[in-house]
Amino acid sequence: MKSPCVRLIPVCLLLAFPGAALSAEISVDATSIVRFEQRADQGAPKIDIVPATQFLGLDASKLGDGNLSLHVSGWGRADIGDKSYNNDQFAGSLTYGYLQYRFKEANADVRAGRFFVHEGIVNEQIDGASIRTDLPLGFGFSAFGGANVHTKKLFNENSDGKGEGNFGGRVNYRYRGILEIGASGQYETNAPTLINYPTVNHRLVGGDIWFSPHKSVELMGHTSYNTVTKGVAEHSYLMNVKPLQHLVLTGEYNENRERNYYYSWVNFSQLALNPSERSRSLGAGASYELGETVELAVDYKHYTREVGNADRYGANVKFSLLGNSVRSGLGYHYLRAGKEFAIGSNPSASYHELHAYALHDTRTYFAAVDVIDYLFKEKVYNEKSAWEATLSLGYHITPDLAASGDFSYGRNPQFTEEIKGLVRLNYNMAFDSKGGMK
Amino acid sequence: MRLFQRIFPALALAGLITILAACAQMKALPNLPASHPETLTIGQQVSCAECHEDQQKGTLKTFDAFSHSPAFVKNHRFYASSDERLCSTCHKSSFCNDCHTNQVEMKPSIKYGNRPDRDMPHRGNFMTLHKIEGKLDPASCYRCHGRANNERCITCHR
Repeated sequence: MKSPCVRLIPVCLLLAFPGAALSAEISVDATSIVRFEQRADQGAPKIDIVPATQFLGLDASKLGDGNLSLHVSGWGRADIGDKSYNNDQFAGSLTYGYLQYRFKEANADVRAGRFFVHEGIVNEQIDGASIRTDLPLGFGFSAFGGANVHTKKLFNENSDGKGEGNFGGRVNYRYRGILEIGASGQYETNAPTLINYPTVNHRLVGGDIWFSPHKSVELMGHTSYNTVTKGVAEHSYLMNVKPLQHLVLTGEYNENRERNYYYSWVNFSQLALNPSERSRSLGAGASYELGETVELAVDYKHYTREVGNADRYGANVKFSLLGNSVRSGLGYHYLRAGKEFAIGSNPSASYHELHAYALHDTRTYFAAVDVIDYLFKEKVYNEKSAWEATLSLGYHITPDLAASGDFSYGRNPQFTEEIKGLVRLNYNMAFDSKGGMK
Repeated sequence: MRLFQRIFPALALAGLITILAACAQMKALPNLPASHPETLTIGQQVSCAECHEDQQKGTLKTFDAFSHSPAFVKNHRFYASSDERLCSTCHKSSFCNDCHTNQVEMKPSIKYGNRPDRDMPHRGNFMTLHKIEGKLDPASCYRCHGRANNERCITCHR
């Protein structure tokens, strides 16, 4: 597939938009953010960065015969002060831009343009087309194809390592409301020839399941298989049990065969990974909702890797008061991890995480405060902790337009001291007749 | 081979009839609405069962399975991989792409600094933390930074 032709699709679709827009329901989301940040990296002079970023999203539905819609989202940035990340003073990205036609039955739709694909084990972004539909007798079908959307080029390479074309899909079967099984796969083509890395295509097949024999029990998950390395890449399964209406008990198991799973993650030298190495995690948790005002959650996870193992446990509590206009939360977690996961030559990677926040949102003003602190068991670069406090204040100028400003200060091992501020303008306009703001 | 050539027209005809019969039944298959008919409260954990209790129809999963409990929010990837159409009745794609995208401009926790109630990843000084978390659970990095969103990674990882 010639990528320049495929990449013209989103542009052509956008050019066709005005004629069909006369009877459309349109919503626009725009967020303008100017950040002010002073960084003091360890051993380097302070720099002042002032990036100005514009996020813009447009959704137009009921185009054409009423079943066609257009969805566009992206951002652009200009660095007013020092360069914020790399040597580019300007940057931007079209996150997605596609036309979608929804048929009146069978949840069928066709998409064309730039969009994300989430089907079973497939998570990709392409410039191309997709189709999906329910079929009789509980079956379903989806397919996609197009050119990969590329990301930043690898260091000293002329490519990000991703191939040109990407094709795949999923078939599934549902039995009443108790079972869904699916089979999905993707096939990447024309992986680039790199100077410092091997040529690898991302090709996976896999299966997924959702099984709920009773409304109080859910089992779900997936297994993927790398057809290039010819080995299982991932198992990831979750079980939810709801013994009471607002109580959810959770158990999860994740396993990654490292070479098979990370094979196309080229900047981490996937071919050097030991084929026999695997990482696993086993977790459990419980959450309970006391009406609409309090949420409690506790969790535990055990990690196992070839180099060692670790445990993480903790709890969160959230409050929603005064008709949801006041929301707050507290959290504590502890990671117990040995020197094999530590930074540098530290004898331990263990740390405590403390988090607290509160916000108040009224029809006129809104305010929020957020504090997070990581307390290391052993000092990292001679710092005992990494903490940051953020204060945000804003005003709803109209129901669709809000202005706000954030200020944050923190100290941490990486930058010693970080002072950040931003001003933000949100504009969310919807010319439609029903539904939420999404 | 000759036998196959003889029965191929019959097989093709049977296949065509099956496809036509399936297409005829497609109109009987229900559609999810394009968008949720009621406005939902921003910042409130949605309980689908509040209005949709025992409304399971046909092959639809029970609505209660999608109630946004803390467990659901934490493990939403399992639901999104097979029920994106249901998610899209309430969420625009951009809601997902605040975190899961090809090129992220700023940490979601900075973009939404005025919304600390949203469980945005990489809060605070994650630059230090990632040196521990990356070794502990690289799969959690790979899901978002493996095949996309690598600008920050390749600055140091070469």
